[in-house]
Amino acid sequence: MRVVIAEDEALLRQGLVHVLAHGGFDVVAAATDGAELVRLTAELSPDLVVTDIRMPPSHTDEGLVAALQIRRASPVTALVVLSQHVQRRIARELLAGRRAGVGYLLKQRIADVDTFCADLRTVAAGGVALDPEVVAVMIARASLVGTGISGLTPRQREVLAHVAEGRSNAWIAEALHLSERAVVAHTSHIYDSLGLPVDVDDHRRVLAVLRYLTQ
Amino acid sequence: MTGPRAARSSLTHSLGRALVLLGVTTFALGCVELALVIPDSGAVWVDALTTVVCWVYVAAGALAWWRRPSNQLGALIVAGGLTLLVGGLVATTVPVLVAVGLVLATSPLAVVFHLLHAFPSGRLRGRVSRATVVAGYLVSLVLQAPLYLFAAPGDVPAMLAMADRPALLEAGVWVQGGAGSVVTGVTAAVLLGRLRGAAPRQRRVLTPLYAYGIGTVVFIPTSAIVLAPVLGWTPTQLGTAQLLVLLGVPLAFTAGVLRGGFARTGELDELGTWLGGAGTRRPALAAALAHTLGDPSLHVVFESDQAGAPDPDDEPNVLPAHVPGRASIAIDLDGRRVALIAYDSALITDSDLVLTAGRVVAIAADRERLTAALLVSQADLRTSRARLVDAADRERHRIAQDLHDGLQVQLVLLALHAQEVANAAGASDDTRTEATALRQGIDAAAGDLRRLVHAVMPSALVERGLSAATEDLVDRMPVPTRLYIGITDEALPTSVQNTAYFVVAEGLANAVKHANATTLNVRLVRVADVLLVEVDDDGIGGARLDAGTGLRGLADRVDVLGGLLDLRSAPGAGTRLRVELPCGS
Repeated sequence: MRVVIAEDEALLRQGLVHVLAHGGFDVVAAATDGAELVRLTAELSPDLVVTDIRMPPSHTDEGLVAALQIRRASPVTALVVLSQHVQRRIARELLAGRRAGVGYLLKQRIADVDTFCADLRTVAAGGVALDPEVVAVMIARASLVGTGISGLTPRQREVLAHVAEGRSNAWIAEALHLSERAVVAHTSHIYDSLGLPVDVDDHRRVLAVLRYLTQ
Repeated sequence: MTGPRAARSSLTHSLGRALVLLGVTTFALGCVELALVIPDSGAVWVDALTTVVCWVYVAAGALAWWRRPSNQLGALIVAGGLTLLVGGLVATTVPVLVAVGLVLATSPLAVVFHLLHAFPSGRLRGRVSRATVVAGYLVSLVLQAPLYLFAAPGDVPAMLAMADRPALLEAGVWVQGGAGSVVTGVTAAVLLGRLRGAAPRQRRVLTPLYAYGIGTVVFIPTSAIVLAPVLGWTPTQLGTAQLLVLLGVPLAFTAGVLRGGFARTGELDELGTWLGGAGTRRPALAAALAHTLGDPSLHVVFESDQAGAPDPDDEPNVLPAHVPGRASIAIDLDGRRVALIAYDSALITDSDLVLTAGRVVAIAADRERLTAALLVSQADLRTSRARLVDAADRERHRIAQDLHDGLQVQLVLLALHAQEVANAAGASDDTRTEATALRQGIDAAAGDLRRLVHAVMPSALVERGLSAATEDLVDRMPVPTRLYIGITDEALPTSVQNTAYFVVAEGLANAVKHANATTLNVRLVRVADVLLVEVDDDGIGGARLDAGTGLRGLADRVDVLGGLLDLRSAPGAGTRLRVELPCGS
């Protein structure tokens, strides 16, 4: 799988290249700012782009701007955006009009190599990977403004959070020490509560849940 | 300029009362004189007219005195009236009064000379003028003596008649007449000289006034000696003619004194009152001074100083070149030159008066200078405080950036390394477990560091601006919080965005920590050039600006930007924090 990354901090860029190479990704280029990322992506047409948000020259949101620009130019390229702080608004922007996989993760998740690489593969396959922290913010907010979530048990909320993070039923079952059947039961109750259509396709159900959470 | 008319000081009122009393007293004395004269009068009409003329003098003099308190002409005109009153005593039958009247009989003419020389300032200018006026009084008082000392015993009271010497009497009459002629001639010459030196505008007033005055002093003696015999006037006709001529004197001089822009007004006291009350700009000050001193040509040059920026309304800042008839005087305050005043030395002879009036104006000008200096230093202070806040923000930003690029990266790489140790092929289970725990520990530390960095300078604010950062704050609130955003970040300066963010953050944190609120509202609205930031809750209220440093520090920040912070938090009525920040484009 061909990947282009963008990270201005040299040590971290090397670390990222290292992690991806070990995880079986083919890092075809590493950019150091947003403009370079856009150019390299247009040249190399990678399957996946992994970029930091804050990069030169202004050290604000160049990486995000570049990612959104890439998506407009090439809607099938999967995007993973890394940041030191996650916000609901950026998650919503990244998910809006989504055609291919999208990931939005805290930068420090890189260290948990296995989970990180699994998330990248999910995204490359057209799925979603959202950081648990931004999902927690979204669920907390949705539970304050809507009524659907307040009807859920704590366990169901945990399941909901993992669904929103983009996890598969099998992953959730293992993480929560449940049977997959129990997870399915929880998810169907969650869909009932939130008024969402039941969907067996993992990607589509994530999107339904995220639409609910980001509305 | 309506100010000086509007604000009459207590001193002026006091002067007014004194003048009214003077008038009443003179009226009463005139009535007493009439009562003494009329029963035995041979010419009632002339005697009555004498008293009326005296009253007119006093009334006209009092008016001039009242309107121009510092001009001595008013007092001089009143004095002229009193000499007439005394001169009228010759018509009584009381010997002492008749004697006094005879001694002072021609003094009204001396007063006319005095008026002519003293016009318009009221003071005598030059030695010739002073000598001539003194001579006038000598002629009317001393050279009058032979006329009663050597008169026939029946003609004058016995106490005055020394000897019946008709030859000496006649000689005295001729001496007095001759000396009077000399005084008249010198006066006419002096006045002609002044007329030549006067500006055309002044000449229009001076010429008729001088002509009338000279005419009067010539007419009075010659009418008795020449006109009456030639024209065959009766004594009543002669007296009437003389009195009517004298009657014109106070009217003419009072009109001359009061004529705006010619004689100086001298209402220094009122000038002070006016300056104390009005907002004063320098051209207005100069105009007030010119009006007060009655010299429209008066010109004030204020010393320029660093505090006062050049004022386009200011007069050109140079004194006219030295011109004959012009004088200038420097006004110093506390040893510092404040202004130079150029004035017409013919119009204003008393430089002390200019100095005094100039000081009053200089104090007002100095007040303006000090105010300007104060405003400048206040602006400097504000700028320096703004720089301090900017510097603090930049420092926060730098620290956050350094932590983000340095320690944060190192922690991530360390955690990565620990995880690689755990994942290495051939690692024992113990190693795997311990290395994973180590990675999680480092992750936790990185998380703490991330939150610290966020508190110092939020990523959301740096990366996406005020709206996104505020939304992020609200997203993380544990109680329902409504957010209304009516701004676009791009139009707002960074300092305003930062301050607004910290206001919202502090307001929300206080509401969660202390207010026990169940609903909160955050509003960011821009009204014209003002950013309005509002955080309100339905909690227990009772928040105070001086409790804790959070809000106090914010109030200072807001003040630096020239904004307003308003905290309303009555106990039980919720809390509303409202901040207005100017964000002029």
